[in-house]
Amino acid sequence: MNRRLIEFGVVLFFASVPFWLGNLYYLHILITTGIFIIAAMSLNLLLGYTGQLSLGHVAFFGIGAYTSALISIGFDLELTDTYTFVFEPKPVWFSFLCGIAFAAICGWLIGKISFKVRGAYFVIVTISFAEVVRLVALNWIDLTEGPMALNNIPPFTLGIPGLWELTFFKKEPNYWLVLALCVVSFVIVRRLVQSRAGRAMIALRENESLATSVGVDVTKYLVLATVISAGMAGAAGGLYTHYIRIVDPDVFLFIYTVTMVIMVITGGKGTLLGPIVGGLIFGILPEALRGLAGPEVQWVIYGILMILVVYFLPGGIVPALSNWWRQREDNQSTSSPGDAAPGTAS
Amino acid sequence: MDQLLQHILNALILGGTYALLGIGLTLIFGIMRVVNFTHGELYTFGAYMMFMFVMPLQTNFFLALILAVVLGMALGAIIEVVLLKPLRGADIDTTMLIMIGAWIAMQNMEQFVWSGIAKSIDNPFPVEPLVIGAISVSWIRIFVFVVACALIVGTSALIRWTKLGKAMRATFQDTETAALMGIRINSVYIATFAIGSGLAAAAGALLGPIFVVYPTMGDLAALKSFAIVILGGLGSVGGAAIGGFILAMMEELGAGYISSGYRDAMGFLLIIVILLFRPTGLFAQKERIG
Amino acid sequence: MAFTLKSYALAALALVAVSWPAQAQDTINIGVSEPLTGAVAASGNYVVQGAKIAEDEINAAGGVLGKKIKLIIEDNKSNPKEAVATAEKLIVGDKVPVMMGAWSSTYTLAVMPKLMEYGVPMVVETSSSGKITTSGNPWIFRISPTSEMEAKSFGTKVGQFGIKKADFLVVNNDWGRGAAKEFAKMLKGKGIEVGVIETMDAKATDLSAQLAKVKASGGDTLFITSGVEQITLVLKQAKEQQVKHKVITTGGSSSPNQLISQAGAAANGSNHLLFFAPWFPETAPNPEVAKKFVAEWKKRDLNFAGLTEGFRGYDGIKTIVAGIKAAGKADPKAIQKALWGVKVKGVNGNIAFIKQGPAGKESAQNVPNVYIVTIKDGKVSKL
Repeated sequence: MNRRLIEFGVVLFFASVPFWLGNLYYLHILITTGIFIIAAMSLNLLLGYTGQLSLGHVAFFGIGAYTSALISIGFDLELTDTYTFVFEPKPVWFSFLCGIAFAAICGWLIGKISFKVRGAYFVIVTISFAEVVRLVALNWIDLTEGPMALNNIPPFTLGIPGLWELTFFKKEPNYWLVLALCVVSFVIVRRLVQSRAGRAMIALRENESLATSVGVDVTKYLVLATVISAGMAGAAGGLYTHYIRIVDPDVFLFIYTVTMVIMVITGGKGTLLGPIVGGLIFGILPEALRGLAGPEVQWVIYGILMILVVYFLPGGIVPALSNWWRQREDNQSTSSPGDAAPGTAS
Repeated sequence: MDQLLQHILNALILGGTYALLGIGLTLIFGIMRVVNFTHGELYTFGAYMMFMFVMPLQTNFFLALILAVVLGMALGAIIEVVLLKPLRGADIDTTMLIMIGAWIAMQNMEQFVWSGIAKSIDNPFPVEPLVIGAISVSWIRIFVFVVACALIVGTSALIRWTKLGKAMRATFQDTETAALMGIRINSVYIATFAIGSGLAAAAGALLGPIFVVYPTMGDLAALKSFAIVILGGLGSVGGAAIGGFILAMMEELGAGYISSGYRDAMGFLLIIVILLFRPTGLFAQKERIG
Repeated sequence: MAFTLKSYALAALALVAVSWPAQAQDTINIGVSEPLTGAVAASGNYVVQGAKIAEDEINAAGGVLGKKIKLIIEDNKSNPKEAVATAEKLIVGDKVPVMMGAWSSTYTLAVMPKLMEYGVPMVVETSSSGKITTSGNPWIFRISPTSEMEAKSFGTKVGQFGIKKADFLVVNNDWGRGAAKEFAKMLKGKGIEVGVIETMDAKATDLSAQLAKVKASGGDTLFITSGVEQITLVLKQAKEQQVKHKVITTGGSSSPNQLISQAGAAANGSNHLLFFAPWFPETAPNPEVAKKFVAEWKKRDLNFAGLTEGFRGYDGIKTIVAGIKAAGKADPKAIQKALWGVKVKGVNGNIAFIKQGPAGKESAQNVPNVYIVTIKDGKVSKL
C-alpha cells in the first residue's frame, strides 16, 4: 500500500464523520477536540522536538483567541482624554491571520527572553508569562471586558464580501475547517522536523552542549521553534474563539496548558502522531465517561494516568505501539509462512 | 499616612505565611532538585485538615493546627516515597511531569471530598481587633504572624544546628560526597520533603481561618511560592524568608496604590524582571544556570 | 509505513470505540445551568435545591401534559465559557425545550447568543444586569429584578438610613458593576455623595487593600454587591480594619443566616436587600406558597441560610412548567409564546412578564418584590 494513499484515506474518513455521526453534540466534541489537537501539536514542537517544557503555552492560545476576537468585533481605546482610538471590525479571516501573527510575535519575544534560562527557571518563566497575560486580560476591562468576557464574536466567514459568502454558523463547516487546519498543522510540523532546522532542534534536545560545539546556533533555533509553535497555538485559539464565540480570561488558566501537556506526553512527545492520538483520547474520554464518573473523579484518573505513563511508557503510546507492531512484523517476516504463532520466534 | 501604615502592617502579616510557603519549596528544590508542583496542594490540604478538625470534629483550635501540620508532613513523606523515590536520577523534566500529575489528582480529590463550595473556619480569638492609633489588626492575624515567625526560626535552627540539618546541607552541596560520607540520602530526601510539605500545610492551616478554604486555593499559592523562591534564589532559605515579605509588601502596596486587580500579577512580573536582569535571584549563594 | 498505518488505525479506533449513551423521551426535560463549583458555588447549589423541590412537587401532582418533568442540571463552574458549554450540551445534546439559568449576569449574557442561535427560551432566575433584557433577545424571561428596579425600590426607603456619603465595593463583573452604576445614579439623584467605587475579583479572598481605600474615603455607608462567600470575607475584614461604615448589601445573594454563622459579630448592623424573607413568610404576597416552600425546605433538612437563594430555583421551575402547560407541548417556540401569558403564584410574588428592550424583539421581565432586613445581635429583623 502506498503511504500517501493511507493518509488520504484517513483524512477522508475523518471528513466523512458529519455524514454518519448523526448527533450534533458529538460533532461539537470532535470540533473542540480538533482544536486542542492543533494546540497539542504546537506544544509538541517545543516539548517534544526541542525538549523545552513550556508550561505557559496556553498564553499563545489565548492571545490568538483574544486578538482575533477583538479585531473581528472592533474596539475603542481611550488613549488620552480627547483622543479615542477606534478600531472598526474587520472580516474574520483577516482577524484570524492577525491572531496567528500576534501570537507568533509574542512567541518571538518570549523566546528571546526566556531562553536565557533553562530547566526549572524556563518552566517558571513561561508559567509566569501566562499568568501575567491572564491578569492583563482580566483587568484591562476597556479592551477585553475582563471577567465579563467578549461576547457575540462573529463566526468564521469565507468568500468575497458582497458577492459570495459562507458563514460558519453550523457545526459541519466548522468541523471541516478544524479538520483542514489540523491537516495543515500536521504537514507544517512534519516539514519542519524533517528539515535542516528540525534536525538542529532535535540535536539540541539530545545534547545541547554538543550541538553548540558543532556550531548550532541554539537560541536561533529555539526561538524559531517557539515562533512557529506560538503561531500554531494562536491559530487554535482563533478557531476556538470564532467557534465558541465567547472568550474570557479563564482561557489562560494553567489547567489548559496541562491538558495539552497530558495529550502530548501520553500520545508520545517528539512523534508526529503523538499529539493526535493523545488529543483524541483526552478530547473524547471526558464525554464518554461523563455518565460514569464526575469531572473531579475523571481528573483524578487523568492525573494518575499521566504519572503511570511517565513511569511505564516514558515515550508515550505511539512509540510503544509502533515498537510492538514492528516487533510483530519482524517476527512474521523471520518465521516462514505456516510457522508457529508469532512471538515464539526470536 | 494611616492607610500606608495599615498596608505595611497587612503586608507583614501576610509575608509570614508567604515565607513559610517559600521556604518549604526552596528546601525541596535546593536539596532534591525537584520542582514541587504539589506544594500548593499541601497548602490546601493543611487548610482542609484545619477545617475538618475545627468544624465537624470540634477539636481544639491549637491542637488542630498541630495535627494539620503533622498530617501535612506525613502526606509529604508518602508522596516522596511513592512518587519520587522510584525516580532517583531521572531528569528534572520527568519529575516535573510526575508532580504535575500528582497535583491534578490531589486537587480534584480535594474537590471530590469537600465539594467545590468554599468553607470557613471559626477561631477562638476575640472579634474586636487590636487598635493602635488609626491602624488595627485582628488577634488571629497576630497569632498567625507569631506562629509563622516561630516556624521560620525553628526551620532555620533545625538546618543550622541539628544532625539532620547538617546532613541536609551536605546533601545540598554535593549529593555524591555526602553519600560517601555515610549520609543516608534517602532519609534526608524523605525528611526534606516532609518538612517542606509540613511548612506548606502550616501556611494553609494558618491562613484558612483568616480567609476561606476551597479546592483551588493552592494554585495561586503554588505560583506565588515559585515567585518567592526565584526572588530569594533557588535553594536559599534566608532568601525565601525575605522574598516572602518582599512579595507581600509589593502586593499590598501595589493593590493599595496602583490597582487591586493587579495584586496577583506582582509576583509574576517580579519573576520575569528578576530572571531578565539577575537570574540568580537577589540572595543566591551559588550559580544556578547550567 | 507500518508505523503510520498502525497509528492511524488506533486514532480511528479511539474515535469509534466510544459508545454514545442513548436517551429516553418519556419525560419532559428542563435544562438547568448553575454554578455548582467555583467562586459562587454556594448560591448555585441553593438554587438547584429549590428547583428540585419544584420538580418533586410538580411530579407528585402528576407532572405536566401527562408526563413527568426531569431537571437536567449542569455545572457552569462559575465561569462564562463553561456556561456556554453547558447550554450547548443541554440544547444540542439533551435537546431540552427550555432552560433555567445561569445565576450570574455574566454567565447569562454568555449563554444568550446560544439561545438566539438555537431558539430556546430561558428563564433567568437571579441575574440582575440591565443588559440582559435590553439587548434584544426575545428568548429571555427574567423573574429576578434588574439592578435598576432594586435601586429604585431601595430609593423609596433611603431616607431611613440617613446616608451622607456612600462607598461601593462590588464584584468585578456585570452584576457588581451594574449594581454600582444603578445605585450610584439613584443616590446622586437623591443628593447623596458617592465616594469610591472599588471592585474585587470574584475569586479574591484578601480584600484588605480595597477596604483600606474605603476606610480612607470617609463615607458613612458601604454598598456591597457579591455572593455570600465574598460578603462574609468583606464583613470580617472590615471589622478587623475598623471600617466603621454602615453596610448595605444588594443583589439578594447575602443569605443573612450564613453571614451570621460565618462572620459572627462582624455581621451585626448590616442591612440586606433580598427578594424573599423566609423569616417572615406570612408577609409574602402569597403567604401560603411561601410557607409551604419554607416547610418543605426545612423538611428536607436543607440549610436555612439557602432559602433566600433557593426560592429562585423554585419560582423559576414553576414558571417554566406553567409555560409548558400553556403551550400544550414541549416545543421551544410554543413555550416561548406561552410564557408571555403565564401568571404564577411564586414565593417572591405574582410572576408575570412585561416587555423590555428594542421593539420587535423584546425580552420579558417580571416585576418582583424587594425586602430589606437588618442583622441585629445575631438575629434577622425586618426593617
